[in-house]
Amino acid sequence: MTTLGVRPRRTRPLLGSHAFLLVLTVALLAPVVWAILSSFKPAGEIIRDPLGFDPATLTLANFRGMFQDVPIGSGFINTGLVLVAKGAITMFCAPLAAYAFAKYRFAGRNLIFGAVLLTLMLPTIVLVIPLLLEMKELGWVNTYQALILPGSVDAFAIFWMRQVIAAVPDELLDAARVDGCGEFGIFWRVVVPAIRPGLAGLGVLTIMNIYNDFVWPVVAASSSRMATLQVVLSTLAQNISGNRVGADYATVTGELLAAASVALVPLLILFIVLQKHFINGILAGSVKG
Amino acid sequence: MTTRSASPAAKVYREPAVEPRSRAPRRRRHTLPWRRLLAPYVFVLPFVLVFLAFSVYPLFFTLRLSFTDWHGSGAAHWIGFDNYRYLLTSNGFWASLGNSGVLWLLIVPAQLVLAVLVAVLLNAIKRLRGFYRVAFVVPFVTPLVAVAQIWIVLFDQDNGAVNAMLGAVGLPPVGWLVTSGWAKPTLALLFLWKTTGFVVLIVLSGLQQIDRGLYEAAALDGAGRTRQLWSITVPLLRRSLMFSLVLQTLAVFQMFAEPYVVTKGGPYTSTTTAGLYLYNHITRADLGTGAANSFLLVIVVMAVSLLFVRLLRAED
Repeated sequence: MTTLGVRPRRTRPLLGSHAFLLVLTVALLAPVVWAILSSFKPAGEIIRDPLGFDPATLTLANFRGMFQDVPIGSGFINTGLVLVAKGAITMFCAPLAAYAFAKYRFAGRNLIFGAVLLTLMLPTIVLVIPLLLEMKELGWVNTYQALILPGSVDAFAIFWMRQVIAAVPDELLDAARVDGCGEFGIFWRVVVPAIRPGLAGLGVLTIMNIYNDFVWPVVAASSSRMATLQVVLSTLAQNISGNRVGADYATVTGELLAAASVALVPLLILFIVLQKHFINGILAGSVKG
Repeated sequence: MTTRSASPAAKVYREPAVEPRSRAPRRRRHTLPWRRLLAPYVFVLPFVLVFLAFSVYPLFFTLRLSFTDWHGSGAAHWIGFDNYRYLLTSNGFWASLGNSGVLWLLIVPAQLVLAVLVAVLLNAIKRLRGFYRVAFVVPFVTPLVAVAQIWIVLFDQDNGAVNAMLGAVGLPPVGWLVTSGWAKPTLALLFLWKTTGFVVLIVLSGLQQIDRGLYEAAALDGAGRTRQLWSITVPLLRRSLMFSLVLQTLAVFQMFAEPYVVTKGGPYTSTTTAGLYLYNHITRADLGTGAANSFLLVIVVMAVSLLFVRLLRAED
């Protein structure tokens, strides 16, 4: 790989590199590890001795309290339903649109792609008022449609997939045409199999975005029956600022960490299982140098 | 990347072409079947419908609303540019933009430097590479609200783990989230912690497309590692860096959930970001002003991103 003249120079900086990366890694993992470990400590202990960890006193009390205080179960169900529906729409429609932008020349292409870029730049918060009023007109406040449809064909996903599909050689598409494949057939049977790593990356990214979405659900799902997991969690966080009468600080802190752990563990597991696809997908989708 | 190199058809293209590739589609156009002409429109239709219903319509609605004094119920009165005049002369609006600007300064330059450094190191080493990559993406997959909650507990002035650590080495506690001077850096740290891994991956993908031979040639010419970084890596990473720059700039100016959950915009208004300031109009049912604020924010965000896109084009 490298020439002999270069190699000796590299050995010493490598130690420094590892030291630097290890320090960063510890800093990155520490908050998550700390939160998960602390959520099993008695609430009083988290406050009295935030750095200590005594395996003998571990308890599930924080989790029990959290399940009693907020409807985290229905939060999971709502998030799950939105995830499946919105995720399916995004995963199908975004690559399809991206395919049109990457491989067809058609009148209005630049205009419509401009719309994609505009959507990308619009802060979600800007559309919150009119969207909410639109939902009221449609009678969709506190419904699943309201949580699923706005933003269901994600602009970022289109932008991202266009990069991936552009790398599929045109000759492959033409060959399929010669074989008598229809336009949609080309997408489905040639493009989709060819971009599998990119699609896997998009899949994980989409799941994450929907699972973590907060701004729109907090407005559109104001009733606790419809609240998604993130909204349920934020309600708990509001309690810590003292809004809840009679709740003591230690208890709320314990429940907060329990809730954070419950929310982050599913995605963490998903990511660790799919990390190879995810990282390769992002590497495939990023801007070509 | 992998798709390109793995595809067998890449070879087919190498065979002598009869005419330049760019001209081929034009000559074939009038022989194209209607299905092929229509297909792209069908493919982008779902996006266009969602865009019209949930972006264009609301935007026009916002524009109209921004010229009224509507409070969510009752009649709306046309008040012309009063909302805009009010915002442009109010301290709150400029303070919120200023807060977002300071957060940008605290976050984006540091993040880009850090991401390039980490990506270059990750690219150079072989051992533990996978482990580091996973570690760098963990914060990115952690739900923001959960991170915000962890931050509240970690950075608590009296009982937080961070101050406990400071105490262990003999330093006095810091009011991370309750003093105006520290609240912004603490939020910036949250944002950096959460998103730097993603930027690292973008930079890493840019790095992997740089021809290794360039470094070998430079090394033979006697260029040291620092020199190689400045003369080869950074210039060739320009597109990845610009992409990250625009993406992160948009994200910082749209920052909402972090201050909403962690600081509620305080202490005083030190962490009231542009996004949160706008949200406050909604909670006060001050919808006309909120709509005007939306438009001003859109203009600012677009101006900033177009500026960066221009910079990218100018250097190409």
